Formats: sequence, C-alpha cells, structure tokens
Amino acid sequence: MAALRQAGHLTVAGAAKRFGAATVLDDLSIAVAKGEFVSLLGPSGCGKTTLLRCIAGLLRPDSGRITVAGRDITTLPAHKRNVGVVFQNYALFPHLTVAENIGFGLRAQGIRPAEAAPRIAEALALVRMSEHAGKPVTALSGGQQQRVAVARALVVRPSLLLLDEPFSALDRKLRETMQVELKHLLREVGITAIFVTHDQEEALVVSDRIAVMNAGRIEQLADPATLYGRPASLYVLDFVGQSTRLAGRVSAGGGGLVSVETALGPVRAPGAFAPGSRVVVAVRPEAVTPGAASPAEGLNRIEARVREVSFLGSRTQLHLDLPEEGEDRGVVELARLPEGIGPGSPVTLSFREEDTMLFPAA
Amino acid sequence: MSATAIEAPALPAPRRRMDPLGLLALPGIAFLFVVFLLPLALLLWSSIRGGEGFTLAGYWRVLGDEYYRGVILASLQLGLVTTSGALLLGYPAAFALARARGGWQVLLFALVFLPLTVSIIVKSFGWGIVLRRDGILNWLMLNLGLIERPVRMIFTEGALYAGMINVFLPFMVLPIYSVVRMMDPRLPDAAATLGASPWFRFTRVTLPLSLPGVVAGVSLVFSLAVAAYVTPSLLMGDRYMTMSMVMAKAFLNLRDWQLGAAMAAVLLAVAAFVVVGASLLQRRLGGGR
Ligand SMILES: Nc1ncnc2c1ncn2[C@@H]1O[C@H](COP(=O)(O)OP(=O)(O)OP(=O)(O)O)[C@@H](O)[C@H]1O
Ligand SMILES: [Mg+2]
Repeated sequence: MAALRQAGHLTVAGAAKRFGAATVLDDLSIAVAKGEFVSLLGPSGCGKTTLLRCIAGLLRPDSGRITVAGRDITTLPAHKRNVGVVFQNYALFPHLTVAENIGFGLRAQGIRPAEAAPRIAEALALVRMSEHAGKPVTALSGGQQQRVAVARALVVRPSLLLLDEPFSALDRKLRETMQVELKHLLREVGITAIFVTHDQEEALVVSDRIAVMNAGRIEQLADPATLYGRPASLYVLDFVGQSTRLAGRVSAGGGGLVSVETALGPVRAPGAFAPGSRVVVAVRPEAVTPGAASPAEGLNRIEARVREVSFLGSRTQLHLDLPEEGEDRGVVELARLPEGIGPGSPVTLSFREEDTMLFPAA
Repeated sequence: MSATAIEAPALPAPRRRMDPLGLLALPGIAFLFVVFLLPLALLLWSSIRGGEGFTLAGYWRVLGDEYYRGVILASLQLGLVTTSGALLLGYPAAFALARARGGWQVLLFALVFLPLTVSIIVKSFGWGIVLRRDGILNWLMLNLGLIERPVRMIFTEGALYAGMINVFLPFMVLPIYSVVRMMDPRLPDAAATLGASPWFRFTRVTLPLSLPGVVAGVSLVFSLAVAAYVTPSLLMGDRYMTMSMVMAKAFLNLRDWQLGAAMAAVLLAVAAFVVVGASLLQRRLGGGR
C-alpha cells in the first residue's frame, strides 16, 4: 500500500469530512496511478460526490491530504488545481452555445482566441459535436450534453478528470453505447480519471480498477476480476454481482481448507477460520452446476428446492428456497435450464471447493 | 420566444391560434378595463381637452415650466437613487436568501419581507422617532460623543432616500431571489474547475444568469419609486415635490384637471418607457446569444 501511494498520480490520505453530526468521509485513503481509470462504486449517500468535491477543491476536507503528481493541493482553491469535473447532470452554462461552453475554460485561463479556436474545434471533433457548435446547449439531447460536458472538461488539459455519474440521466441503450465510447475516448487522451457510479455493471464495464465505497470508506480497491472473484468482504460480495449464500459454522480446519456445517449439508472451502466460528459460505451463480453430478474430489454438493425461475435471455436464474431468511439467499445462474426443473422441484447443486468463498458472519 | 424554434426544430411550426385557456384571462381583463383602462383613458382625454376643443396647453405647462420640470427631474432622481440603493443592498441579499438553509432562510425572509406588512404610516412615524431632533439616533450619537449638538436628519434628502429604499427593497429582492433560486449552484463550481477566478465566475456566469431578475427588479422599483407619493409626503412634505404629489395637489387643491392629467400622462410615459425597455432587454438576455 505504501509503495502504491508513492507511485500514485492522485493520492488521498486520511481524508475526513463531517457535515454536522454526520461523518460523510471517514479517514478515507486512495491512490490512483497515472493514466488509470478508476470507478468509485457505492450506494447513494455513501460520500462519492463529497470525495470528488474534495479532490476538485470545491469542498475542504476536515483533515487529510490530497496530492496530484506529488504536489500537495489540499488547500489550493478549485480554480488553481487543474482538476476537470464532469458533473452529475453536466452543469453546462445555459446562456452559452456548445462552442462557448467548451471554450469557457480557455477564456477563463486567458488563452488568446486565435490559440483557443483550434483547440475548441479539436475538442468538438473529439466528441463528434462539430456540427452542433453554434447551438445553445439547452437544445441538445442528454447524450449530446454529456459529450459537451466531457469536451469542456478535457479541452483545458486537466491533470485529472473526475466524472460524477455521467450516465445516470441517459436511457439504458444510450448509456451502454456511451460507456464504451467514453472508455475509448479517455484511453485515447491518456488521462487519469475517477468515475463515480452506483451501477456495478457500469463500473465493471468502464474501469481498470474499482473502489467499492461504504459509509465514507473504501471497502476494497481492485481490478474487476478480483473484485468479483475475491471480494474482500460480505459488503463487496453483495454489492458486486449476485451469489448464493449460506450461514454456517466451521466444524474443522487445517490444510488451507475448512469444513463448514450448513443447513443444506457440509461444505468445504479454502480459508483460515477456527473451528466453531460462525461464517457465511458464498458462491457465484455461474460457478454452480445443477443436477446430480457424480461425487468427485474437490466438489461441494448441496440439496435445495427451487422457489422461482427467471428467464433472462442469455441465461436463466434459479431462486432457491433456503432454510432461513436473512443471511441465507440463493441465486444460481445457468446457461440452460435442465429438463423438469421448475418452481418447487428439488435440485442438487455442485460447485468446486476452490470457487467457494468464506466470510466471517456479520 | 425566438428560442423555441431552435429548441425544437423537429416540431411543426406552432399554429397562430389562441389557446382556449387564454379565455381564463377574460374576467381579469374585463376588471382591468373597468377600473383601470377606462378611467385612464378619460384622464388622458381630459389632459388634451381645453375650453374650446383640443389643446396641448396642459403639456406645455408641465414641460415648459421651470418648476414642473424640476419636479419631474426630482422624481426621476428619486427613482434613480432609490433603484440604485435597492439594487446595491438587494442583490447580495437575494443571493443570501436563495442560498440560506433552514432557520437562516426564515430569518432572512422575515427581515426582508416583514417590513411589507407594516403600514407605511406606521413606518414613517417610526422613522420620525428615530430621526427627529430629540430622536434616538441623535441621542445615541450625542452620548457617544460623535456629535456636539443634534443633527437635523428628518426632512433631509438623505432620510428620504433611506426611507424610499427601505420601502421598495422587497420589490428588488423578490425578482432577483426567484431567478437566483432557480440557478444551478454548481454552475460557478463548474466554472471554478475550468480555471475561472472568482471574479471571472461572477461576471461570466453568475451575473449574466441573474440579469433577468435584476432587470425585473430595477424596472419594478424604478416605476414604483418615480410614482412615489406617500413616503416623500410623509418624510419631506412640500420640501420635495414628486410628480405624484403635484398631481394630487392639482386634482385635490387646485381643481386643475388639465395640469394633473398632463402630469399623469408624463408619469405614465416614463413608467411605460422603463417597463417596455426592461422587457425588451429581458428578451434579449433570455433569448440566448
Ligand atoms: N453540503 C452538505 N451539507 C450537509 N450534508 C451534506 C452536504 N453534502 C452532502 N451531504 C450529505 O453527505 C452524504 C453523502 O453525500 P454525497 O453527495 O457525497 O453522496 P453520494 O455518494 O454522491 O450519493 P448519490 O449516489 O446519491 O449521489 C449524504 O447523506 C448527504 O446528505
Ligand atoms: Mg453523488
């Protein structure tokens, strides 16, 4: 972690922010490497926007340090930071045209019109808005406004770009197109970017690494595959993707594998828990195979009953009846629904021990 | 409304037919006609009616006479000073009001608008108590050693201006407040992240976006202040004659309808000029650039 922090293009160290009695940022630290595209993923109200505002200089953290490219900017006012922001709902200047919006930063920084014009044209072309240059921004569609906001932020060549839920106002179809487009654009520009979202799928699509936020802290910062495959906590497991979960008690440990007694039978999984510990067993939906596979070494098998079947097009979800509400929930995803399985039918489910995750019970 | 065509290019051209909802304005229009337009027309009519038919003598007296010209100029000056003062005090107040939260907002609202609920007569007597020779302000300054002997404050132009600004301030604050309240507070933030200094943010973002409110407030306060009657009468009496005071005198004391009506027409022209000019300006500002 220390080495990462040194190498970070952006580092936030121990940032805290309170509004009255509410602690919104709680001793938060994060380091982002140069050129990296990091998502901040978390539920509404967990402090994502607050963190961005602190980094942009629109809010002063109560404590902690923020550096960009080794320079301490904690107390620098926003207009001296050169940190670009794409705001939630864009905050375009309604009294200006598309080109004037994009040129605003250049004018503000005293760049001569002769020098600014080609840069504005270039930015317009970059987001494919050249033919709309003279329109008032109020005449644009949501997707077009979003592109103007990105161009406006990029044209001043910020050392860092912050995007606060830039797609939340777009419909699903457009959003998916724009996600790929933005990822491509930012890679081309080679800028370091932090991207806020509360949509886990969006985070998985666009980012190099994802920081899962929970109540003012970073719960885990990792690449999408790690985050999905090895969530650091139940919270992350829950927030990213779906899973089948069973409460259990460790019956024996040793050799890197522990045995857990669950209501649906014994399960073995890698981990280090003392016998008697209360744990939660979890497995991702696609790691589970239905049907009575022949008993094999390294395979867990549980018996359950199907409650509901949801057809999702490319795959089918089985919702399982689990013995207890609360900690236990079951979602299994299958490429194809086996013959004779429907609501109420019993199923045997097998999954590899190494795919089985263990978490301390909350 | 020039912006509409640009905003929705795909829509067919709007048909020039009145919305039936417009009929709802009929009772209001009828009311205005009976209590406002009709008397006004009769008044203007009497301003050009002499002993033997049509005459402009009334206007000649009002605009040609040194004294009445002075009254018109004094009214314009009063309007100008009041409007400037109200703008200077009201603009920041409107922002404070729009950005304040919870208890603060209630308090500020009360400070700005409570005076509206107090009758102008009550206020004038209040000012008298504060400003007169043996009033509180003189007493205070004497005791603080700021002055040697009581200063005359009541019946001075300074007191008049202060009173006028006090009376008309809410009419400046309200339109600006309603525009600022609708303004996205993140716009100046966005400007800051683009490298704009506080001054640049104010002149290029905040000010232009608040101008419609300013124009509305200025035209409202100016047309009210130019026509002021009660406040200058109570605070200055005959020492500061405004157009409205001349009109009242002409109608009530002198029974000189021609004079009063001509003065009324001039006042109307001034107010109309300001209101029409302001709405043209507002359209220019609101219609994008
Ligand atoms: N200026 C402020 N004054 C008081 N409380 C604030 C202020 N700004 C944010 N908060 C509170 O801080 C918490 C976190 O807000 P923040 O906007 O950072 O959340 P978020 O993670 O961006 O949520 P969302 O996904 O809804 O945008 C919220 O409970 C919010 O009410
Ligand atoms: Mg937010």
